[in-house]
Amino acid sequence: MYKKRHLILLVIAGLLFSTFTAAPSHAQDKPTIAAAKCAAPGTLTMWVWDEVWQKTIKKSVDAWVKEYCPGATVDVQQHPFDQYWDLAKTSAASGDLPDVFNMSQDRFLEYASNGALLDLQPYWDKAAIKTDVWGSGLVNPYRYGDKNDLYAGPVNWDTVALYYNKDLFDAAKVAYPTAAWTWDDFAKAAAALTDSAKDQFGALTYMEYQGGYANWIASNGVTPIVDAKHTQCTLTDPASLEALNYLKGLQDKGYMPKVSIVGGSSADDAFNFWSSGKVAMVSGGSWKLPDAVSKVKFNWDIVQLPRSPKTGKSHAILHAVGYVASAKTKNPDLAANLLQFLVSDEGQKYFADAGGVAPANPAPALQKEWADSFGNSGKNIQAFVDATKDSQGVTPFGEIWNTMNTDLVVNIFDLGMSVEDATKKACDAIVPFLNKH
Amino acid sequence: MRVFALNHFLNLFGHTPLARRRALWGIALILPNTLGLFFFFGLPILASFFTSLQDWNGLKPAKFVGLENFARLFTDSNFWQAFGNTLKLMVFSVPIGVVLALGVAILLNQRLPGRNIFRTLYFLPVVTSTVAASVVWTWIFQPRYGLIGNLLAPLGLRDLQWLTRPDLILIPVAVVTIWQRLGFDMVLFLAGLQTIPRILYEAAIIDGATRWQRFRSITLPLLSPTTFLVFVLSIINAFQIFDQVYVMTSRTTLGGAGGSATTLAYLLYKSGFTNSEFGYASAIALVLFFVILGFTVFQLRLQRRWVYYESRES
Amino acid sequence: MQPDEQLPRYLDSGRLVRLLTFVILAVGAAAMVLPFVWMVSTACKPSAELNRLPIHWLPEQAACLENLQQLYQTSEEFNHYLVNSVVLTVGRTLGQLLTCSLAAYGFARFRFPGRNLLFTLCIGLLLVPFQAIVLPEYLLIRQLGWRNTFAALIVPGTFSAFALFLLRQAFLQIPLDLEEAAQLDGANPLQVLAYITLPLSVPALAAFAVITIQAAWNDFLYPLIVTTSAATRPVTIGIALLQGERNTPFNLIMMGSLLATLPILILFVLLQRYFIAGVTTTGLK
Repeated sequence: MYKKRHLILLVIAGLLFSTFTAAPSHAQDKPTIAAAKCAAPGTLTMWVWDEVWQKTIKKSVDAWVKEYCPGATVDVQQHPFDQYWDLAKTSAASGDLPDVFNMSQDRFLEYASNGALLDLQPYWDKAAIKTDVWGSGLVNPYRYGDKNDLYAGPVNWDTVALYYNKDLFDAAKVAYPTAAWTWDDFAKAAAALTDSAKDQFGALTYMEYQGGYANWIASNGVTPIVDAKHTQCTLTDPASLEALNYLKGLQDKGYMPKVSIVGGSSADDAFNFWSSGKVAMVSGGSWKLPDAVSKVKFNWDIVQLPRSPKTGKSHAILHAVGYVASAKTKNPDLAANLLQFLVSDEGQKYFADAGGVAPANPAPALQKEWADSFGNSGKNIQAFVDATKDSQGVTPFGEIWNTMNTDLVVNIFDLGMSVEDATKKACDAIVPFLNKH
Repeated sequence: MRVFALNHFLNLFGHTPLARRRALWGIALILPNTLGLFFFFGLPILASFFTSLQDWNGLKPAKFVGLENFARLFTDSNFWQAFGNTLKLMVFSVPIGVVLALGVAILLNQRLPGRNIFRTLYFLPVVTSTVAASVVWTWIFQPRYGLIGNLLAPLGLRDLQWLTRPDLILIPVAVVTIWQRLGFDMVLFLAGLQTIPRILYEAAIIDGATRWQRFRSITLPLLSPTTFLVFVLSIINAFQIFDQVYVMTSRTTLGGAGGSATTLAYLLYKSGFTNSEFGYASAIALVLFFVILGFTVFQLRLQRRWVYYESRES
Repeated sequence: MQPDEQLPRYLDSGRLVRLLTFVILAVGAAAMVLPFVWMVSTACKPSAELNRLPIHWLPEQAACLENLQQLYQTSEEFNHYLVNSVVLTVGRTLGQLLTCSLAAYGFARFRFPGRNLLFTLCIGLLLVPFQAIVLPEYLLIRQLGWRNTFAALIVPGTFSAFALFLLRQAFLQIPLDLEEAAQLDGANPLQVLAYITLPLSVPALAAFAVITIQAAWNDFLYPLIVTTSAATRPVTIGIALLQGERNTPFNLIMMGSLLATLPILILFVLLQRYFIAGVTTTGLK
């Protein structure tokens, strides 16, 4: 059993490193992903998280009922985001997962490896949807089984780039960052932008997994924290240590504030610190765009994260929320049909309109619609789209989240533990949870 | 023989017909609540006892493993750390919390301008949103920009890392525990203070007793049933500290750096829902249960020494 | 009615002592009140002013009404959630008042075999944190076919070990003479409880009401697992639903929390008058 799974996971791992493939060019009239009529209407239960999402998804589901499956009823239930996984576990343990529900890349393997999810590959095949239409970072973490079947329909993506305060750059007479910057350029700018007399820092880029240090490890050529197979802790690899030591070096020189000074260890805390004008450059997610466009008072822009001098690459973490169906659903065909609509050009229109996180469907019209949802901001939103082209999907999982997301960060960047000691400690905490999925 | 057995049985309920009738009344009175409690809470607790003997991730069928989960507890350093943290928090927060609540209740039981407003203000933490508490308390303890850092700045402690240092984090958690609990205990004490007959104070004043003497010989003994209640509940509360950990650590490292603020209640939640080890989580819950039970039975026994009841059953 | 007028003399104290008391209480109250102040001020901050560093206490451009509107736009069912909370709270409180006062009276005044053991077991139920029994509790409710019903929200909550403990302690503080006199007049235990014991326990009942109502109103984890729709969900869940995967609208969350807190605060202010010395007139032995 294990041998077989190792092999599968190896293949997935390989795919993870492959690049985000742009959409194959289609004729204008032909949709990138088409929806289809359902065979017979029926009843489905569907779980989503949070109010705002729920409204977008509801619109999409209503359109499906109206256009593709008249007579079907979908009970869309929304749950608080913070308790969503606890509820999913409670339901799964009692054998009544909803027919269709929100899935996250870091939780997928746990559910798939325990046989809780419906294999959607036969349905993709039947609908003639080639699953490589989506970029690898979006869908590979959702593949499972000996044939790398795709178990989820990806709904959206988000990734990370560098937000910078133009006013602080101007005041310090430093040239704006470019996508060609290496870590050395970044370090020089951070030094020039630091002004301890004014309590002003050059940069803040080490925070939690997706918004912070893991991007630097990925750029340096290692899958951060754990490999895609969940078989080893990669934090103690030389390239990981090098990336972390580089960041810690910047902090030791006073260019980056400590976690406690920022007031929290999340990417949100870092972003708030940046929007208060106390730091010139911050690594931030594309999900912060609506906030930045509407709230930030100084001049700012975005650029891809700097390149590792070792690999010459910038390799940001990408996460995609997906939809999955329960293995126990009484209506698998109908559930798959709804999922197909949700990821189709038509179904994704509602996500593109809503702004915030970008729709997963790569149709150029949809991606443009998303970028346009921020108005004529004049910002380099393309930096995020560029970042997806060479991106790293999420490999860590729930059980180790706290260890790598906050514990490691606080140990190194607040309590001053050496990178070697802190990563060893983190790996000791991570190892008991490896090889379980 | 049979008659003898019946008599023996009946004697359990009392030796006179009146006593037996009262025993039946007593049973009838306690029955609805007791049955309801055992059905809705007792059964799930029993179920979790069975779960503690299993290896179960919630997704695959459970496997019986006997006492393996309990054996693992004894060698799990996370468990002992959480156990120690819980005990420390109890020792920090319970005595100070109970004394403060008693003090506030007594102060707010006398003539004082704005007394009703004060009572409401002290009750506010009970109803304040956890999210707000988390934001503000994190700021209060935040180095450099925070309240305490600036108050302690003259001592050179402006940048003290209260929320991340494993050796300091329990202090903020204990402070928040006391803060959240104070209004609750105050309400219990205020209610208890009202039942002390005023004539006793009047008589004491006539006898020339000082404030302190009146407090020592009237308030304290007559309030003791409430004090007992508050103590027992505070200790139970201290053993179940969960939200307070969230309030103080959610913005830095949940459960404290290296688990330094992880309590037993928090650990069992994490073991069950984050790590999908429901059997192990149930084992933690059971150990927690027996430890608190030990404390509570100890207190129930000890109460005879210091709790004064105006009345007992007739 | 000025409650202070009722205060007996022995609770009066010298002017200096009173001033000192006042100052101590005021300092303590400031610590009590800060998070609540932030909650109110954030409820009125426009989104552009959220997440400012360091913390800022007053909105520059108050947007209370806008936020209120925005809250109802985002959470269309917010009033429904509030109503559900009222139903849940009233149901549980009345239920507990009935079952727990009977049981507390039984434990406090009657001798029967196994009494101490049963009482200890009841208190024992308080000792298990709810997180530990989430799963079996969910299965039980599912087995009863009560998911997403008010029965699930109310019935289990009408039994309480905490209220039992509180009321038993209160009854034990009440002298027996009046009860005994009533018994001699031929009153049965239920009549004694209703006409003598309960009226003498008004302060304890007020404490019971404050605590039970507050606990029922703030209950979150249990309703979360047994409800799935706005038809039965209480306001605590309505507020939690405002938190997004990628964004935290603090102003709306605080506005929602504020709306949810006000009824409990008003209730506390109203019930306070029962915490005043002199309500009980017993003890005249």
